[in-house]
Amino acid sequence: MDLALTEEQEMLKTAVRGFIQVEYPKETLLEMAAEEQPVTAEPWQRLVATGWLGIAIPQEYGGEGGSFTDAGVLFEELGRGPVPGPHLSSCVLAASAILEGGTEEQKQEWLPALARGERILVPAMTEASYSWAEKDVRSTVRQNGGGLRLDGTKVYVFDAVSATHLLCTARSEESNEVGLVIVPVTADGVEIRSLPGFSWNLAEVKLNDVSVDQDSLVGSSFARGWDALQRAIARTIPVMCAYQVGACQSVYEMSVDYSRTRIQFGRPIGRFQRVEDHIINLVNQLDAARWTTYETLWKLDSGKPATDSIHLAKAVGSAAYYQACNFAHEVHAGVGSVTEYGLTLHTTASRTLYHYLGDPQFHRRRLADALSL
Amino acid sequence: MDFEPTYTPEQEEFRQDVREWLAENVSPDIAHPPDSINITEEQYQLRRGLGRKLGEKGWLWATAPEEYGGGGLSLDHAVVIEEEVDSYGLTIPPYYDSGGRLGGASIMVWGTDEQKQTFLPPIFRGQVRTWQLLTEPEAGSDLANAKMSADRDGDEYVINGQKIYVGSSLGCDYMWTITCTDNEAPRHQNLGWFMIPADLPGITIQPMELLISGGESGAGSGVKNTVFFDNVRVPAFNLIGGENEGWKVATTHLELEHGTGGRIGRNWLVDHLFEYCRENQRNGQPLTKDPDVRDKLIDIYVEAEIARLFNLRNYWMRHSKAEITYEGPQASYWRKMSGLRMSQSILDILGPSALTFDPQWGAAEGHMEAHQRSAIVAIHPGGTADIQKLIMARRIGIGREVREKAGALA
Ligand SMILES: Cc1cc2nc3c(=O)[nH]c(=O)nc-3n(C[C@H](O)[C@H](O)[C@H](O)COP(=O)(O)OP(=O)(O)OC[C@H]3O[C@@H](n4cnc5c(N)ncnc54)[C@H](O)[C@@H]3O)c2cc1C
Repeated sequence: MDLALTEEQEMLKTAVRGFIQVEYPKETLLEMAAEEQPVTAEPWQRLVATGWLGIAIPQEYGGEGGSFTDAGVLFEELGRGPVPGPHLSSCVLAASAILEGGTEEQKQEWLPALARGERILVPAMTEASYSWAEKDVRSTVRQNGGGLRLDGTKVYVFDAVSATHLLCTARSEESNEVGLVIVPVTADGVEIRSLPGFSWNLAEVKLNDVSVDQDSLVGSSFARGWDALQRAIARTIPVMCAYQVGACQSVYEMSVDYSRTRIQFGRPIGRFQRVEDHIINLVNQLDAARWTTYETLWKLDSGKPATDSIHLAKAVGSAAYYQACNFAHEVHAGVGSVTEYGLTLHTTASRTLYHYLGDPQFHRRRLADALSL
Repeated sequence: MDFEPTYTPEQEEFRQDVREWLAENVSPDIAHPPDSINITEEQYQLRRGLGRKLGEKGWLWATAPEEYGGGGLSLDHAVVIEEEVDSYGLTIPPYYDSGGRLGGASIMVWGTDEQKQTFLPPIFRGQVRTWQLLTEPEAGSDLANAKMSADRDGDEYVINGQKIYVGSSLGCDYMWTITCTDNEAPRHQNLGWFMIPADLPGITIQPMELLISGGESGAGSGVKNTVFFDNVRVPAFNLIGGENEGWKVATTHLELEHGTGGRIGRNWLVDHLFEYCRENQRNGQPLTKDPDVRDKLIDIYVEAEIARLFNLRNYWMRHSKAEITYEGPQASYWRKMSGLRMSQSILDILGPSALTFDPQWGAAEGHMEAHQRSAIVAIHPGGTADIQKLIMARRIGIGREVREKAGALA
């Protein structure tokens, strides 16, 4: 048994941490959060230039060909920011969907472009009857001459504002199967609108009679789309969980630091048992997220069955990030609510990630199925 | 025991009067936006106008003594007024006036008769809005560490320092403020409270950006501010309770702020949520018919019912002058922590529609989104959840023979 990272993984971790400290300081993150704009200008371009974002893409398709654990190391560091941007949605989830379901030509065309950040392909999955089930995909696609036509509305689409292309789930009017169709955001009939409020980079995407080429259909068959997406989601969840681990770690460090430096009643607040309790609760959440995630990454890397672990990691990890932020707010009291302080960047991210790719309740149920209960 | 206020025929008649009066005087434009940061000057002025009219009738502070501008009415009348105003989704006063509520009650206990004659009628008649200024960068939970200085100079005090997380948008008339009246004196013997006119020279108000600024029940404040005092000269007359006597005044203020005042009225959040879940479908049936949603809705309902009953009990205890010990902080603690638990249940039920106030995709006109934020922030104002527990422990006498007493109320 050895639960340590390899030397190369430790080096990657150090390099990424250093990069993020320089390129994504709190001020930058706050500015990005205030803007509701694409997050693909600088420093995103410099992040892309490192080549790291190709970590989940095989070398033969222009990626880094990293292991799941390598990707976990990278995303854990991104989560500390929390660094926004379509790294998870485009470079991991959409790339995995192409890898799982695309034709050879599609892999050649898309994967190198995604790895280099030249194109940003964002999955547009959920709709008005919000769920992660196939039956709730109501957007339609039909043959039209030599191409395809799409209609429908996608909601709560994560990172859509930053996309160059959307990877849309849509139901074939002919066969009733749910396939994956690539739609350029510049196509006529595509409208993307950011959703205001406590959400984190969520948008509405309207597809009004949108025409695309026949080769926009992933795997050139409707039948392949949904399953490919499910396999891609399964590969992405552990990486997303690593992001949440890094985020919890950052919230934890903030809280411990504050407990040492904030003086009330003539002593550091960390000396009060109630504040200790909040931080102990927080670190329990953090470590629960960490070890459920790490074991899942290891299982995937070593080819072991991992379905149960994937659901466990997401159920634990998303609840952990949510709760970690709540405990951190208790530790900080007033100052934690001040936007400028930076804790609310995490609080906001934690609420959206709670649901992205399935909320804890959804994954608990899937876990029960996976355990044949 | 009787949980319903018994309505005498006289009360029922009074209710009719109140209803008719409200129907005539509450403008349909008065609705409070879910996030009070969006309250407009017009909406605020409508609310101030309603407050003034209620004040003229003696219905704003119904049980406050008539000689100081209150209504001089019985609790039975006050209950009717509160219920009827609540049915409009409004509070009393219908705008943020924490300094009026808490400062007024403190002056009732600690002010001289002349001070009562001067400061109370404008509050009780709704002519002024007052903020409460307690917190400083180094004095949060540890309020007794307040360092904003008030130095005597002839008939005036000169005030210097800074308060944070205070007030609202759209300004105020008075600032109910705790200061340090003696830098050398020991803790708890160095404080003094002032009613400070907000238009005195040397006061600067700077809005803060928070996750949300409301979180307390009722009229949200809009924004919170840092307020700087630079050689602000306040008449010595405005010192309430005496120099270095501020801590005893604080006990009254804090007692009420910690929830001892109680509250009657329903939880509008639960109403909005239930309505939304009845009217919106999932899997071809109303959300309320989904077994998981039902479980969560009932979790929420149970939390809210307990909070309601704690508040009802405290309202009754206060008005029947029963001896109060830990009940105030208990209600406050429950409200804070149950609010946070409810917000997670709501997120479980509604998904990301609880995270946006988008007119099309945000659940219940943005009320849920506002609650997701305010449930977090609401843990802190008026004493953190931890501080409520600490006070409860002292009042119950956990591990100690001498039980701490509640602050004096009028
Ligand atoms: C939305 C909002 C509105 C507000 N409105 C007002 C207002 O109108 N007027 C006003 O004056 N102030 C207001 N405040 C300030 C509020 O009263 C303070 O934030 C609160 O009292 C806590 O103080 P603090 O933020 O400095 O936290 P701190 O006191 O620094 O607390 C930090 C942590 O230490 C814990 N702690 C501190 N002391 C102890 C102890 N003895 N035992 C155990 N744990 C302890 C706390 O529980 C918390 O977990 C508002 C705050 C917010 C967020």
